[in-house]
Amino acid sequence: MKLNKRYPRSIRSYLSFYVSASVLTMVTLLMFFLFYTSGTSVKKYADDFARRNSRQDAQFETEMVIPDEALKSLASKYDAVFEKEYSVNFEEPDSKHSRIFKENKQIDLCELTAGSRPTNENEVMISLGYAEEHSIEVGDRIFAGQKERTVTGFFLRPDYLFMVENDTDTYKNVEDFFLAVLDEKTFNSSFEEPNVMYKVIYNDSSRENELRKEINSIYTTLSYLSSDANGRINYVYQEADTYIIMAWLLLITLPIIAVVLICIIISRKIIKEQKIIGTLSALGYKPRTIMLHYSIMAVIPGLIGGVLMSLVSLFIADWFGEFATASFEPIKPVFKVPAAIMIAGIIIPTVIYFIAAMLVTRKILKNNTVSLLSGSVGTKSASKKIFTKSQMKVRTRFALRSVIGNPGRSFVIFLGIFLGSAIICFGMVYSDSMKSLADDPQPKIGSYKYRYYLSDFREGVYSDNTDVLINSSFESESGSIVNVIGADKDCKRLNLTEKSTNKTADLSEGWYISNLAAVMFDVDKGDEIKLKNSATLEEKTIKISGIIKNDYEIYVISTRENASKVTGIDADYYDCILSDESISFENGEVSLILTDKSFKKQMDIVYDESTTNRITIILLGVVICIASIYVAINMMINEQAANISMLKVLGYKRKYIDTMVLRGNHILLIPGIVLGILGGVGIMKLFSVLLVEVLELILPVELTLKTVLFTIAVTCICYFGSLLILRRRVDNIDMIESLKDNRE
Amino acid sequence: MFIEIKNAKKQYGTGEAAVFALAGVDLTLDKGKIYVILGPSGSGKSTLLNMIGGLDSLDSGDLIVDGKNIASASKKELLQYRLEDVGFIFQFYNLIPDLNVEENIQVVSEISPKPLDIDEVLKALEIEQYRKRFPKELSGGQQQRVAIGRAMIKNPKLLLCDELTGALDTKSSYAVLKFVEKMNQIYGTTIIIITHNEAIADMADCIIRFKDGNVASKVDNDNKCPAEKLNL
Repeated sequence: MKLNKRYPRSIRSYLSFYVSASVLTMVTLLMFFLFYTSGTSVKKYADDFARRNSRQDAQFETEMVIPDEALKSLASKYDAVFEKEYSVNFEEPDSKHSRIFKENKQIDLCELTAGSRPTNENEVMISLGYAEEHSIEVGDRIFAGQKERTVTGFFLRPDYLFMVENDTDTYKNVEDFFLAVLDEKTFNSSFEEPNVMYKVIYNDSSRENELRKEINSIYTTLSYLSSDANGRINYVYQEADTYIIMAWLLLITLPIIAVVLICIIISRKIIKEQKIIGTLSALGYKPRTIMLHYSIMAVIPGLIGGVLMSLVSLFIADWFGEFATASFEPIKPVFKVPAAIMIAGIIIPTVIYFIAAMLVTRKILKNNTVSLLSGSVGTKSASKKIFTKSQMKVRTRFALRSVIGNPGRSFVIFLGIFLGSAIICFGMVYSDSMKSLADDPQPKIGSYKYRYYLSDFREGVYSDNTDVLINSSFESESGSIVNVIGADKDCKRLNLTEKSTNKTADLSEGWYISNLAAVMFDVDKGDEIKLKNSATLEEKTIKISGIIKNDYEIYVISTRENASKVTGIDADYYDCILSDESISFENGEVSLILTDKSFKKQMDIVYDESTTNRITIILLGVVICIASIYVAINMMINEQAANISMLKVLGYKRKYIDTMVLRGNHILLIPGIVLGILGGVGIMKLFSVLLVEVLELILPVELTLKTVLFTIAVTCICYFGSLLILRRRVDNIDMIESLKDNRE
Repeated sequence: MFIEIKNAKKQYGTGEAAVFALAGVDLTLDKGKIYVILGPSGSGKSTLLNMIGGLDSLDSGDLIVDGKNIASASKKELLQYRLEDVGFIFQFYNLIPDLNVEENIQVVSEISPKPLDIDEVLKALEIEQYRKRFPKELSGGQQQRVAIGRAMIKNPKLLLCDELTGALDTKSSYAVLKFVEKMNQIYGTTIIIITHNEAIADMADCIIRFKDGNVASKVDNDNKCPAEKLNL
């Protein structure tokens, strides 16, 4: 059909529209694709790796050793698999910390990534992350178990993909800590009393509680950690979920707004073509043929944008995905964009543009052909009579009237500014939130400098410069670990500021919950919460008297007496010391030490690891900002071509034409940026809420002056930059051709 | 001699598709007179008008208006020329739809160095009562009178009319031509009217016929009649 020849001609005529609309479609979808691909690929890798290497469902320690025969019997009775894992911790002569294992046979297997397994006492294989961090190669000699041995190979373990030394650490440590595996004979002969940890895989998960109760009743469970609550395992999933949540959040905001923006522009372009539509109709073209013709023209930016996005994502998915794995051992997921999602990314915007064009064309075709031929359809504007009595210069009146009197067109420009500033603001607020999280977090949880978790309970008080706590691990109904803390009423080293009153909580009034826990479990003052003892599985219900301002930790706290009733630990005992100064303990007396510096370091790492995300969002925000504003202003100039021509004919200088045609839109910058900033904060709030359970942190949503100024500055630069580029289009408008088109 | 055109040439397209819109036009026009240019479509009359008005440029030749060679003028000089010396009236009015009658005229008076009094112009064109109306609220004839007002408010030396009655009914055409004639009488403006309508030629001081991009004839009209007596 000859009409089809209009497609390439239309692209040539509206090249800048097609380019900017395609770029906008591409970039907004690209953000979704990159985050989604990274998240799903990491998750898939972790699942496959776990399956390949028989990852545990849980690990536990008992007071009494479970004999091998008893384990076999339990395994058979409860349809489970057990592994008794042996390990020894060392501080090596070079001050590095090692954890030496006897290699497991059934659960949490070592996957060799290079070299071979050790075969004699002079050989060792070590964790890959440490090897890469220190450029250790197969054949090198290192200290492992306080003896120099030759490295025969490197491995990854499914329960150590996130390499933390202690369960409660939240940052990886491959600088000073590594895992090492010796051959079985060497391990058995070298260490007389290794640590024993039981690993379990439940083939029948419905019997988990029954099994745990039996083990506790006979062997007394000291600790129990399911894989869902094990940071070394679940942080991979948390990180992947963060990326996936970010992807969906971006999808429901940016591409939708961009697609709406482009649909409006396409609709307005079609309305401008009404004389051609009228002519085609008069020539006898069927409405369906005309609708199809314009719909096909409209799909061009969707198709180009979708295909470009697919191509670009193929090239940069690996680069972007690497940032999603930076926290972990050197895992190598295949960052492949799922074919179905890729096809959907091409098809969905294309179909939306197609439908939008079809509906608009159908609506236009409902008018009679004479009206279409005269170009009078959709030209009514009720707001043009404003400022008629004003003493302002006509060009100022014109500028304001063309903004206010053309709400559809102004909305498109507003939407462009809004979209750009919202994404830039979101990137900045996200950055500020992460920084606020990392900035001096210690005072927000307490004034102590050292927090010692003791291996055994002690009685009474420790010293004047300390506070002592009962600290016991419980599980919420959702399986999350909740610390049940008993403290003295005059505990000074914990920040016990109550959220509603801003005063220090009076622990004698009952149980208080940290804000993070309250948000995670959706609990408020006066509510009750059920907690399950991790060892005994005994359930307790406590009533919440208030919420403590603490967005970093998951706990409930009351007096030691109340804690004693819940935990069963004598109220005179304690197993945690908060101190202003460092305390010396004998070897083995302390199971874990947390310091204000280590906590700050954890938060710094969380901040550092978000750097790529933050910069990517801001950079893509700038591209979106330029593309969306460009596409909107470009449309406005096209629509004003006849007026611009007439002004040129009348002898108007460029600066006056700019004033009348372009500058009036400056007023849209104010609502666009203001609502954009609010939109950016709104997206961040939503993101923060969605991430509470994933990160087990409440990201503070703070809007700083710096962010506001940055958003204003970047949006304005993008806006005025687009105007600068488009001023050439104003210059290039051909007076004669445009006036010929102006047949009213 | 007010306008002198020497060997003016303008070609659109290249190769076999080349069209010589102006094929070496030589023409002189005097100040204060009304000229009507007739000719079939594609004869080059609109192209000539665009050249005289500074909307387009010649490929070669000279176009001297009141001593200034427009053919060699820079963009800036052409802009100034259009602002000070030329008024345009188009077949389809080309009023700015977002401005009312008064504002469509003020939009020129605001930037013009020696504008006429707007009330005087509105009164002369008998559109005072419509001054707050918008183009959409006016008939074609009324819109064209506003276009005349907009063209005349700057008190141009030259008024260029491109098929100014082409979209009007007979009654409106009489009214519009009467006002154009009146402008010539009141302000002494040189007027060039391009039209297909032979009857309009009767109001001209001089009738020029165009054919194939050149002047076919130029005849002084000894039987000039007032616009209201034209046989439209």
